[in-house]
Amino acid sequence: MPTRPPFDRSVFRRPSAQPGVTRRTVLGGALALAGAMTGAGALAGGSAAHAAAASGEPLWFGVSGPLTGPSAQYGAQWKKGFDLALDQINADGGIQGRPLRYVFEDSQNDPRQSIAIAQKFVADPRILIELGDFSSPASMAASPIYQRAGLVQFGFTNSHPDFTKGGDFVWSNSISQAEEQPNVADFAVTSLKLKRLAVLHLNTDWGRTSKDIFVKAAKERGAEVVAAEGYLPEEKDFRSTLVRVREANPDGIVLISYYADGAAIARQLKPVGLTQPVVAVGSVYSPKFLELGGEAVNGVHTRANFFPAEPRPEVQRFVAAYRAKHNEEPDAFAAYAYDAVLVAQAVIAAGGTDRTAIRDAFTRVKDIPSVIFGKATFDPDTRRVSGVRNVKLVVRDGAFALWDGAPPTSATN
Amino acid sequence: MFPTSFGPWLDYTINGLVIGNIYALLAVGLALIFGVSHLINFAHGSVYMVGAYIGWLGITKLNLPLPVTFAAVAVGCGLLGAVIERVGLRPLRNAPRIAPLLATIGLSVVLDQSAQLLFSPDPRALPTQLPSWRIAIGGGSIGALDLLIAGVGIGSAALLYGFLRFTRLGWAVRATALDRDAAQQCGVDVDKVNRTVFAIASALGGVSGLLVGMYYNTIDPNMGFQAGLKGIVAQLIGGVGNVPGAIAGSLLLGLIESYGIALFGTSYRNLFAFVALILILVLRPNGLFAKARRLPPEPLTGTFIAPSRPLVLPGWLIGLLIVAALALPFAVQQPYLLQTLGNAWLYALLALSLTLVAGTVGQVSLGHAGLLAIGAYASALLALDAGIPVLLAVPLAGVIAAALGTALVFPAFRLRGHYVSIATLAVGEIVTLVILNWESLTRGPIGVTGVPPLSVAGTPLVSGQWVYWIPLVVLLVFAGVQTRLLSSHLGRTLRAIREDDVAARSYGVDLNRYKGLAFAVAGFVAGVGGALMAHFYSYINHETFPAPVSMLALTMVILGGLGNVAGAVLGAVVLVGLPELFRAAAEYRMLIYGVVLLLLIRFRPQGLLGTV
Repeated sequence: MPTRPPFDRSVFRRPSAQPGVTRRTVLGGALALAGAMTGAGALAGGSAAHAAAASGEPLWFGVSGPLTGPSAQYGAQWKKGFDLALDQINADGGIQGRPLRYVFEDSQNDPRQSIAIAQKFVADPRILIELGDFSSPASMAASPIYQRAGLVQFGFTNSHPDFTKGGDFVWSNSISQAEEQPNVADFAVTSLKLKRLAVLHLNTDWGRTSKDIFVKAAKERGAEVVAAEGYLPEEKDFRSTLVRVREANPDGIVLISYYADGAAIARQLKPVGLTQPVVAVGSVYSPKFLELGGEAVNGVHTRANFFPAEPRPEVQRFVAAYRAKHNEEPDAFAAYAYDAVLVAQAVIAAGGTDRTAIRDAFTRVKDIPSVIFGKATFDPDTRRVSGVRNVKLVVRDGAFALWDGAPPTSATN
Repeated sequence: MFPTSFGPWLDYTINGLVIGNIYALLAVGLALIFGVSHLINFAHGSVYMVGAYIGWLGITKLNLPLPVTFAAVAVGCGLLGAVIERVGLRPLRNAPRIAPLLATIGLSVVLDQSAQLLFSPDPRALPTQLPSWRIAIGGGSIGALDLLIAGVGIGSAALLYGFLRFTRLGWAVRATALDRDAAQQCGVDVDKVNRTVFAIASALGGVSGLLVGMYYNTIDPNMGFQAGLKGIVAQLIGGVGNVPGAIAGSLLLGLIESYGIALFGTSYRNLFAFVALILILVLRPNGLFAKARRLPPEPLTGTFIAPSRPLVLPGWLIGLLIVAALALPFAVQQPYLLQTLGNAWLYALLALSLTLVAGTVGQVSLGHAGLLAIGAYASALLALDAGIPVLLAVPLAGVIAAALGTALVFPAFRLRGHYVSIATLAVGEIVTLVILNWESLTRGPIGVTGVPPLSVAGTPLVSGQWVYWIPLVVLLVFAGVQTRLLSSHLGRTLRAIREDDVAARSYGVDLNRYKGLAFAVAGFVAGVGGALMAHFYSYINHETFPAPVSMLALTMVILGGLGNVAGAVLGAVVLVGLPELFRAAAEYRMLIYGVVLLLLIRFRPQGLLGTV
């Protein structure tokens, strides 16, 4: 554990450090206009309509994430999750009567920009807690700045095992792969009785960490991993990779993928003659997975962290409201973002408007309602949450359905 | 399980041809444009994306029959191509040849961002309406779409061949490709030829986007960049400007990738492709399928970079600016501003390095981010694994980047013009892929965490002032050295190589030695820049310095004025600063950035401060 340098309060108390107040007002107007034109809420525009229930000086959190660039789609999903959570929170009176709002700064998932954003947020006295960034390079480059300035960096997609080691101001409710992957291995090996597995994984820090843990967990459960292939996020052609997989003669295929690449792989299974059952990690849980995969994803098993038909109240509150607001099915990334706002609400409610008190509140808040965890409680040592919820799903007739315990017949229906 | 007489190799071969087919669709259009305007069109990938979206509108929103959708895509993208030529490129026809290249990068930013705003960044499904029968070959099968793609690729190449060989307009195109000025004197309407070529190539690019979108059942606004890159590689393998060669090159690239996966695994796929590209460039610089002998490019008619009169800043102004820059943290304590300017100084180091090789020596590098990555990893690993103090590790990293960078680019020293750019682009990709795959040294995709910050006597220099001052002081030192260097006889020698390497050689200049010297200096500067970034970021992995960083660096250099030291610094400040200034515009900021970039190129093609 790195030691924490002395907390530098002067950094964000300087009067010259807040030039943005008047500019922000003008900007807010411009963005509201832009939001009205495109139908997409910018900044906290989406929540403004409901803010009537909570009045008074708003409480702010900052978001550093991709709105443009190659990862922009994830930032767009985040926004939908944030806006929904804020609608609900502010309609219920906000935090002690004050509405919660956010400032979303576009980092393009680029460390050069995320560190500039970090300096901006730590110097802006309104910002009480920061959420993001998306990938490890962008997030972890900014961690030292947040840590030194004493502003909580709350990463909710940051599963890199070293992310929260950035300091005691770095917290995460991202699903720990050490917990998630054994569940996937359970599904594949114990439930589906697959013994010779081929693993395809994104060759990123997330995919690689996940794969290593999965392979270990699968071996402990008596299965053999006969092939492991890492692919780059921008790849679209998997035919030759899948021939390699086929030659290893597996009886099941495991995808450690996001939804777009997961769907692309599923579509290319049949053309190379693979009909084995497929088990995918929870991050493929998205309506886009079904849309992009078409018929090819029928029969894919996944262990999702939430399922719209689940009766848990947190899930029902999220899913019903999400459908009503955005007129589409929620995906995993929107759920992570929604959960992140609930955490921000809880720690601000408990810690007030002092940044250090908010950090300390993480150790005190218990059982924060969460779509992904049911009830989220942080472990003060790892600064993470454990106890991820999950359900066993299978794609049937172009829709996710609860797995009924039937053994896999064939991945192609 | 799937016994075949050929084993899996038949499958690998088929798969290579299937993906090669897809590369060919783009490579043909790129080859056509390059053949006539000697331009690597980075906007081609964006046109391909636009084609996919027009097709998506036709199929899912308007329910048009498939042939009508194809026609709509071809017409729409053909028009877009003509507009790109008219608005984006024709005004630059007398500008330095590097300006249109930059304009295509600007156009691609504008097109990609517009699509993202119109259609959202989410990927969308593009269902095919083709019959679903499949033909079994080997252990796998191919479908109707595979055959259609092959048909469109080969058919369009055949049509183009016929057009170029047997029609008057085709003759005009070929005449223009051979010698634009002579063609114009013979009465060829060169503008019309250019417009026609852009329209045809773009129509083809759009249809490819639609086909590939249907093939993967996915389209997204960023699909163009990677696809365009592969198309460029494929047409270079075949020989630039050579349409049948582009098809053969694409199929070969597909096969190389497929066999690479078969032999070494998926994570080596692109490594194989780029190593093959370098080998081909070095062994057969005109491409595999070019005629063995070819006229040397444009003897004695100037080169890639046209001369211009640089804006000379008076010494007192430069002195004043330096003092002001050094004193800024005393006046302004806003950490965001200092961090942004600190970033600008770090990128200025990269630009300084690139302006030396690209501007002064005329070796336009598109893989400069690779030098940053080498410097960053060298310094981080020296500090962490070898326990060397950071202050010592940073200059050592510079030396390593200089040595490795020069060695990697060395095979490309005998190349000229665009070939150098593509070879360096490949080197940049190779560096990233080696970092990804050499796990025992670099920790692979997990990356290097806990890189210690710069510190003096145990005190870490991490506050807002230091992230500003350290890069600034390093930058001032290197900029000073580079300015001195350029005004010495060495600078004149390097510029002589840029202006006319044949003449320079006949005066007894050893080209390889001087190019090597320039790359070594550039590698040192960029390596130190990358090392500093690693210590500021504290975490690096193979995605920290991606290919777009190289593009950004080149944009900075061209914007400031090639070879111009002050220009490189100005370019870095402008291009790091602009996106931050436009931050208020949220999703619109990259679009505004693209438009501003285009306007700058349009009205100041020689760069803000001019070429030195």
